[in-house]
Amino acid sequence: MKTLTPRNILRHELLGLRVKARPSKGDRVHVGEVVGETRNMLRILRDDGRIISLPKEAYFFEFQLPSNEKVLVDGKMLVGRPEERLKKRVRRW
Amino acid sequence: MRDYRRIALDRIARLMEFAKRHAVERPELAREAGKLVLRIARKARVRIPIRYKRFICRKCGTPFYIPGSFTVRVRDRRSTHVVIRCKTCGYIKRIPAIREKRAKSKTK
Repeated sequence: MKTLTPRNILRHELLGLRVKARPSKGDRVHVGEVVGETRNMLRILRDDGRIISLPKEAYFFEFQLPSNEKVLVDGKMLVGRPEERLKKRVRRW
Repeated sequence: MRDYRRIALDRIARLMEFAKRHAVERPELAREAGKLVLRIARKARVRIPIRYKRFICRKCGTPFYIPGSFTVRVRDRRSTHVVIRCKTCGYIKRIPAIREKRAKSKTK
């Protein structure tokens, strides 16, 4: 059942992963767990209890995989509805 | 190309895990996860593994981990079966239990 690798994170489920979100411009870092996803946004449950919605395009996300690896992903690569991301969209990296 | 199916199965497992974790404190999150399970299974054309299929409403996606989201009854009229009714959308699911009943009377 372990198929989550840094390579296929673009096609995988983000819900439930620990994440650190850093804006492309700015310095307000959010740390928490992914609890929701839409086409352009990621909802994160911050460690302080607040749920926050962040636009994917404007942030860099560092996900912690269950294998305890960390992957830094440009939010722009994550744009798309969760079920759409499953199909394809791997290319550069 | 075909491994998107494997990814889909893994995603479904992950989502059910997520739903179980958040069902009590944040049922809306669990409900969204359940809906996503249906969407992914549909998109990837995979069958939801039966151990998860029994815990999610087929119609609206509400996972049964949410307390108070469904009622369970055992009925003996036409045949012995378990009736699970989703409180969110009213969908009724029946699971036949004749094998279990036979096994029980055998052990007696």
